[in-house]
Amino acid sequence: MNGFLTVLRKECLDNVRDRRSIISSLTLALLGPVFFVGLMAFVLNTTLGKSDAPLELTVMGSENAPGLIDYLERENTIINEASFDDAAAADAVRDGTEALILVIPESFGEQFASGKPLALPLIYDSSSFGPTRRNYGRARDIIRRYAATIGQLRLSVRGVAPSITQPLRVQEVDVSSPAARALQLLSSLPYLLIVVVFMGGFYLALDTTAGERDNHSLEPLLIQPISRASLVLGKLASTATFGALALIAFLVMLAVSLPLVPFHKVGMSLSFGPLQGAQAFFVCLPLVFMAAALLTLAASYAKSYKEAQTYLGLLLIVPTAPILITQFMDFEPSAWLMLIPSQSQASLVSQILIGESLEPLHVLLSVAATLLIGMLFSLMAIRLYSTERILG
Amino acid sequence: MIRVDQISKQFGKVTAVRDVSFEAADGQITALLGPNGAGKSTTFRILSTVIAPSAGAATVDGMNVQSQPLQARETIGVLPHNAGIYSRLTGRENVRYFGRLHGLNEATINERLDQLIERLDMQSFADRKTAGFSQGQRVKVALARALIHDPRNLILDEPTNGLDVMATRGLRDIIKDLRNEGRCILFSSHIMQEVANLCDELVIIDSGQVQFRGTLDSLRTRTQEDDLEDAFMSLVSSTDE
Repeated sequence: MNGFLTVLRKECLDNVRDRRSIISSLTLALLGPVFFVGLMAFVLNTTLGKSDAPLELTVMGSENAPGLIDYLERENTIINEASFDDAAAADAVRDGTEALILVIPESFGEQFASGKPLALPLIYDSSSFGPTRRNYGRARDIIRRYAATIGQLRLSVRGVAPSITQPLRVQEVDVSSPAARALQLLSSLPYLLIVVVFMGGFYLALDTTAGERDNHSLEPLLIQPISRASLVLGKLASTATFGALALIAFLVMLAVSLPLVPFHKVGMSLSFGPLQGAQAFFVCLPLVFMAAALLTLAASYAKSYKEAQTYLGLLLIVPTAPILITQFMDFEPSAWLMLIPSQSQASLVSQILIGESLEPLHVLLSVAATLLIGMLFSLMAIRLYSTERILG
Repeated sequence: MIRVDQISKQFGKVTAVRDVSFEAADGQITALLGPNGAGKSTTFRILSTVIAPSAGAATVDGMNVQSQPLQARETIGVLPHNAGIYSRLTGRENVRYFGRLHGLNEATINERLDQLIERLDMQSFADRKTAGFSQGQRVKVALARALIHDPRNLILDEPTNGLDVMATRGLRDIIKDLRNEGRCILFSSHIMQEVANLCDELVIIDSGQVQFRGTLDSLRTRTQEDDLEDAFMSLVSSTDE
């Protein structure tokens, strides 16, 4: 026990003094939630809120088509008068001073009266950010509806049923809502959390194993009178310590920043406070241990620091793979899913996030299965350190 | 007291050490001399319990290194070949870590640390982080680390490797001091002159086998060479033929 604590203490001290390693441990944990919350707030604010706001439309020659302007205004459009010559109008849209310009030619009244088809230029920039494309769609739809209404009236006047011109009609049913989009984003949060847990101990696992050997300090260490089990577990525990610290940093940042997302606007109430944070922490703690064991084992197998770095880089894909697969295949949280480490934690944390109560059996299975696999990796690492191969 | 009894070690098809036997007595400096690749480091690794012999046995103060490795480690201090130290820890912290691994209490560790720092003349750099230490400073830290548990037996694998003349002399005096305290000292070298300056007993090893055991005088008599280097050469080269 003493040897274990001595190794743990030394590795933690050694790591704390390594700025590169600390940065790599905590950057993702601290900035991940901020970035994530920023993205969610952005998505919600741009897709939401402004849909009820009036459409702002710059119109050239509005006096030419009072009927159309009337119709637009009734459809919640604010008309801004403007007069450009044609080239200047396109430039104004291109450089962003105007978002959307409708051009009504002087001949409008005359042509409209004579029933000739007429093109109305609607100038927009599809490559610009923000709501331009949606506004373009809204303006186009309003004008189409106006045109259709006029057309139907003309047919009626001539004694033709307007429906004869519409043998087919597409009815669009878009089930995606801002809430659904927010949820989709939210479901990638547990994925981020798993990566944070693995990244937290990443460099520690490297430094304490392959790094120790490359530094030629492994052999003197192995000559000390402590058991290989204490030695390996001490190293593993230091990796786990920093994995846990990264996890805490992540959860605290999340609890602080998540309330900034306007979930209430989409009718969702998401409370992620100290209680939920603590729940998530304890649910993920077995994963911290398993991750440390896996990282330590993999880094010890490598023949050099560089090789170990490559292994661990590839290893980061392993815990996230099941999450991606199940996300695409849309599994419900079930008992057998709880047997897969990282998948089970992602699933449980998702449930905590959206305020569902956790099934005790699921938590138990997740903890037990993850601990068991972690212990298996630990034993393999201890066995590896008990062979001469470890000296390289 | 270190006793090596007919040990052999094979790595795959390569035999690194074959039937090596010798003794290193307390209060004496025993040198293991041989060209590069002769099997010196392999022998030392077996003695320091990190690898097991394929055949034969070795004991340190009566403790079998294979069956009682933890007890054997208590009684030996080892300076491995090119031993690395932790660059983000200070010299003192490096040594303290090993003291703790030996289960010593903090008071004992601090007391011995002070003694070792004075004895090895480390006052000027003991509390600096070891990144950027000279080779001489690094060896001193590694040696202090090997001595923190006050071992009766000391195994030094090419301790003067990479040291300048001053540092080599200083280290030589320290090794003699340690011998005079009654410790058993086993060190390896491939430089005959260094061995001649230091050792009481000599074991010459080549191609994994012992070629000679005895004192320097008996080496001269045996090979009928006055010059030690010639004597060494005659033993080593004779096995190549």
